[in-house]
Amino acid sequence: MQAIDVVFKPVRQLSELVKTGQTSPTELTEIFLDRLDRIGPDYNAVVTVTRERALEQAHRAEQRGDAGQSQGMLYGIPYGGKDLLATTGIPTTWGAAPFRNRIFDYDATVVTKLEKAGALLCAKLAMVELAGGMGYRQPNASFTGPGRSPWDRETWTGGSSSGSGAAVAAGLVPFAIGSETWGSILSPANNCGLAGLRPTYGRVSRHGAMALSWTLDKLGPLCLTADDCGIVLEAIAGQDPNDPTTTDQVFRYDESDISKKTFRLAILKGTLNDVDEDVRANMQAALDILRNFASIDEVEFPDLPYEAVTRTILSAESASAFEEFMDEGGPAGLTAPEDRHPYARSAISAQDYIKALRIRTKVAMIADDLMAPFDAIIAPSRATPATRIDMDFRGVILGSAKDTMGAVGNSAGLPAISVPNGFSNGGLPTGIQFMGKAYDENKVIAVARAYQLRTDWHLQHPEAVIPYSIPP
Amino acid sequence: MSEPEIDPQVIDALSKLVLLRYGRYLNEDQLAEVRTGVEAIAKVSEELRAVKLENGDEPFFVFKPYRGDS
Repeated sequence: MQAIDVVFKPVRQLSELVKTGQTSPTELTEIFLDRLDRIGPDYNAVVTVTRERALEQAHRAEQRGDAGQSQGMLYGIPYGGKDLLATTGIPTTWGAAPFRNRIFDYDATVVTKLEKAGALLCAKLAMVELAGGMGYRQPNASFTGPGRSPWDRETWTGGSSSGSGAAVAAGLVPFAIGSETWGSILSPANNCGLAGLRPTYGRVSRHGAMALSWTLDKLGPLCLTADDCGIVLEAIAGQDPNDPTTTDQVFRYDESDISKKTFRLAILKGTLNDVDEDVRANMQAALDILRNFASIDEVEFPDLPYEAVTRTILSAESASAFEEFMDEGGPAGLTAPEDRHPYARSAISAQDYIKALRIRTKVAMIADDLMAPFDAIIAPSRATPATRIDMDFRGVILGSAKDTMGAVGNSAGLPAISVPNGFSNGGLPTGIQFMGKAYDENKVIAVARAYQLRTDWHLQHPEAVIPYSIPP
Repeated sequence: MSEPEIDPQVIDALSKLVLLRYGRYLNEDQLAEVRTGVEAIAKVSEELRAVKLENGDEPFFVFKPYRGDS
């Protein structure tokens, strides 16, 4: 098989090729390793290509001798992991120069689970240093350089899961694992034109993943389709004694036919007021499509300082998570100048932190109550398409546009999926997000699948990275 | 919600607290940025303090006593 036969094929289709013997785990792995080596540097997408580990895993899978007939959907499928996931014997850098040579002697639970499912780790993917926790304001905030979008190298991939976004969008891996504390999966999904799923807090074990904010951090997949997100989530979800915050609620991906299903959706009042013109136009077009199979009501969150709550929790917990690093002056070794003085957060009082936690209880109950009649709340995934590589992205958020969905969703630990819903006039992808009630990943995936059944945005890929047939 | 006004003395006091601990790592430009950061934090704190809660409004955290052998 050639790259053209497998690159930009969703996991479901690749799995069929493996199970029917049309390709093998080793052949697939070689194709994606080659692309990671050749194309990865163009987008600053990769920290380490894990060639040896991937080929050894592929070889072992093939030696089991059943060609995956009795295996799950991820058997023999290559993937990449954000470089905040611990991996035995391979550097885990957290995207930060001071940690570029640090090696753990164990695998993160997510890595172990994917290995058990037969997936093959091909790369540790680039990320914003310390998952953006030091307050970066522009893309050049990683020792591997700014994440460059395969749609336009002069624009940003989004972050902090920058390499996870770029690698899937450039066809370097069929899927990737990212993490989100506040926006780090949905932002690259938006900017790179991908499906990105932020699971319910506690759905996926964080054991072995860098801690930025213990009560906000989530791990989730970036994929070509919403369907693939469901497949990957089933493999990585589950209770883990090494992470006491994991839920005992079992996640089984509901793959049932959604072509005739109808949904009840809601949109936040005023959510399109302060967004970019192209984002608004694409969202309105998406609403027209959604109305064919869903009702859409307008709702409003009561007036509470949602962003202040999430910001305070994130800042206070990250100040503690990186206390030793800060005490030793470690931030001076970081790439982004604005990341080198993250010290203001140490002025947050314990009283204010706990106040934020107490308000969070109210936020969670308000969100659950408001969402009770609906399958999902919808909104643009981001207020703007990708910004340029040399721009302060915080400065271009328009007017008074607030990320209420992100603040509520992350502080209340709610699942959300972003899928592409069009392109800007400049040819950059935009996205729509579907946010559900806690543990309702199947519902948000189902709505997103139904939307993707009626659109083809997810079938479009950056011209520069589409493989061509090589004559024999 | 409108942005709260912060008493400059509060910003001075909080900034001094930060500088006592981390000032040795900061140059003049960075000191000014830390002060801006402290001001932002003070504004966020005011937003939180404006929310009235009851005595029984608890955070979600649940502490579980630990025994390694159970």
